[in-house]
Amino acid sequence: MEYTSDQKALIMLSVTEGYNARKRRFDSVDRPCELYDDYSVADKMIAKMESRNIGVITILDDDYPQRLKEIYDPPYTLYYQGDKSLLNDKDTVAVVGTRKVSAYGKNVMSNFLPAFIKSGLTVVSGLARGVDSIGHKACIEQGARTIAVVANGLDICYPPENLNLQQQIVDKGLIISEYPMGTKPLQYHFPERNRIISALAHAVFIPEAGDRSGSLITADYAIEQGKELFVVPGSIFSQQSVGCNKKIKELQATIAITPDDVIFAFGRNAVKEDKIAIQLDMDSQSIVDLLQEGAKHFDEIFDATAINIGQLSGILTQLEICGVIRKTQGNYYEIIPQL
Amino acid sequence: MLAKTKSYALNGVEGYEVAIEVDLNAGLPAYDTVGLADTAVKESKERVRAAIKNSLYNYPIRKITINLAPADTKKEGSHFDLAIAVGILVANEEIESKSYKDYIILGELSLDGSINSIRGVLPLIISAIQNGHKKFILPSKNAKEASYIGGIEVYAFDKLSQVVEFLTGASQVEPLETSEFVSISRANKYNVDFAEVKGQFVAKRALEIAVAGGHNVLLIGPPGAGKTMMAKCVPTIMPDMTFEEAIEVTKIHSVAGILDDSVGIVVNRPFRTPHHTATVPALMGGGANARPGEISMAHNGVLFLDEMPEYQRRTLETLRQPLEDGVAVVSRAKRTLEYPSRFMLVASMNPCPCGNLGSKVQQCKCTPSEIHRYISKLSGPLLDRIDLQIEVDSISYDEFRSSELNESSESIKARVEKARTVQRNRYVGTSTKTNDEMTNAQVRKYCELDKAGEELLKNAFTKLNLTARATNRVLKVSRTIADLDGSQDIQPKHVAEAIQYRSLDRKYWD
Repeated sequence: MEYTSDQKALIMLSVTEGYNARKRRFDSVDRPCELYDDYSVADKMIAKMESRNIGVITILDDDYPQRLKEIYDPPYTLYYQGDKSLLNDKDTVAVVGTRKVSAYGKNVMSNFLPAFIKSGLTVVSGLARGVDSIGHKACIEQGARTIAVVANGLDICYPPENLNLQQQIVDKGLIISEYPMGTKPLQYHFPERNRIISALAHAVFIPEAGDRSGSLITADYAIEQGKELFVVPGSIFSQQSVGCNKKIKELQATIAITPDDVIFAFGRNAVKEDKIAIQLDMDSQSIVDLLQEGAKHFDEIFDATAINIGQLSGILTQLEICGVIRKTQGNYYEIIPQL
Repeated sequence: MLAKTKSYALNGVEGYEVAIEVDLNAGLPAYDTVGLADTAVKESKERVRAAIKNSLYNYPIRKITINLAPADTKKEGSHFDLAIAVGILVANEEIESKSYKDYIILGELSLDGSINSIRGVLPLIISAIQNGHKKFILPSKNAKEASYIGGIEVYAFDKLSQVVEFLTGASQVEPLETSEFVSISRANKYNVDFAEVKGQFVAKRALEIAVAGGHNVLLIGPPGAGKTMMAKCVPTIMPDMTFEEAIEVTKIHSVAGILDDSVGIVVNRPFRTPHHTATVPALMGGGANARPGEISMAHNGVLFLDEMPEYQRRTLETLRQPLEDGVAVVSRAKRTLEYPSRFMLVASMNPCPCGNLGSKVQQCKCTPSEIHRYISKLSGPLLDRIDLQIEVDSISYDEFRSSELNESSESIKARVEKARTVQRNRYVGTSTKTNDEMTNAQVRKYCELDKAGEELLKNAFTKLNLTARATNRVLKVSRTIADLDGSQDIQPKHVAEAIQYRSLDRKYWD
């Protein structure tokens, strides 16, 4: 692909000056080519990008998303891998939150995300551990559209355990970054990156966020950019819900109790799924009744039901496969809550 | 004067004949040992001289040359002492009878002329029998060990002088009586029992299945959950060792020098717990004087690796080949040794470095990457050899109604033995002994599922995030569960239960 000297200049700018590039708010972004005489740095970078199949969209291009231009400090360059048409998806929801997801957070995600996906929303997130990864994974698994905005060059994977997921997003979705190749995920990149997540989304949804969660920065950007902010209330004793509850207390966010609350904001109706009634036999029913009291250890179930131990293991597996209960670490079993 | 006595040397757990030639020459008094003798053999010079003198025989003031034939293999150990001493006495005409030629002579000498015990008597005798030898002279401390072999004449002595008197015909000695294996195997008991393990029903059930099918097990749980206690109980529910198995184990323990002289044979299934600082030679065998490693000493028994991720990765990886083949191969520049090592692996680990992951009582303080690093110490190929991965955790069993229902090892063992019989009959005529050892072809043949079973397995993979390589493991364990159930076919409920024992495959460690 051929680049114009304007585009090359913007690439140079991002390579040599990084975020500071935006401080040079040369009034006419129209003529950045006047900044440089020698484009060898940009040419080298372009060669490297082409070998890794990384493309770039600059603020001067037609396919640069309009919503990004509307924010205070839009990135001049967006490096991307994957399907760039996702950038102009109409209905996008940002799903961000804590890196340490509690069981409650997982339940929220497993109830909300499938609904978002069924309604055809595109999920934007940051490929971080926890909520972000769960969101991306769900989209990839169910063939939904998803955009990952990362805080480092696209040749780097952070966090490293998401290498596989990152590759899948490249294949089936879109991954973007304002940082050129070779940029490490430095601490201050993350808040910078968050402004792009909220800018790309029409609404930001936070299932769980701790007191100092980075997702609260995204939330603040969302408010600043005039986006809708949805949070899920949590227990007042849970560390992972402090951030969400604080937003509610400060009247900055809309409370989301069902997926519909978020989906209605897009002017859509949730796709109603017929609940499948599962006929349980007596033993299974007695186990489910027992688990209604709360999570129980295998041995507690065994003790209470007096079903033969081998048989009990079998029944529990069957219930797991049906999606009624779930095994958690340490041989505990619990009901999967359904909205 | 030339004399030639016979002895045996060890190579791994096999023995080979060593002819000891003693020649007395005119010349300045001297003593030379040739035939690639190591230090222990060369030092026999002093022991033999003192022992002969202190037994009040004449020590030749001549040039003495000892040759150990075959001359090109390295000889180790002190058990040639007695044969050398007899050879010198014969060459010096202290013993005039020729009867010494009939015996394989083994024993270490003490300076006062008494005979000390040696390592590896059983494997030496068994190899000698295979080569047609029938008469043995041994230290009496090793008599018990030799007495389990029938059809041979074993003469055991405490002192060099007794050996000389016996060989010259000055005294009559009766050969040892053969000991009965069955009686002592019944009498010996383990000092732990599953009845003492409170609760832990699912873990106990899993161990029962593991033993019944010969599967390897990984116990995952926080410190103090009772993993070690349960692992120690595993031998108590294993079927009693047959005489052949006991001999195999005794051979190895004898070579390793850990045999109890007073019993002379290993009756209880071994339970070995190498520390996590163990080196590769300690585990696999080898070292300067090649000895069997922990995995061979656990042959026909249990190898328990406590806190498995704490072991060096390199050490763990060496386990893969023995787990596959049942032998530990130790290669040296000049020779390769094989030690049998068909053991059941019981490993334990914490769910995370701090041990509290998944605990309802304590908060886990590990970061995801710490947990990831901890778990990833166990390589996929190694985990592939472990069919059952179960979680053990400390919960209070005090208020449990059925806590008095704790089953004894005896009754669990009865079920295990029944399942083993089913397997023996099924695999008759093949090298497979247990479900764990099934080849892929055998898995296809004996682990066929009905429609409902297939469906269940397929759903389990998609819904429960099982990894694909778990299929065969699940099938093998299902087969064992069906065998325990006395069922000819594998039913869906058996598959469903087997899936419960694949904890590590569940991706909630992500």
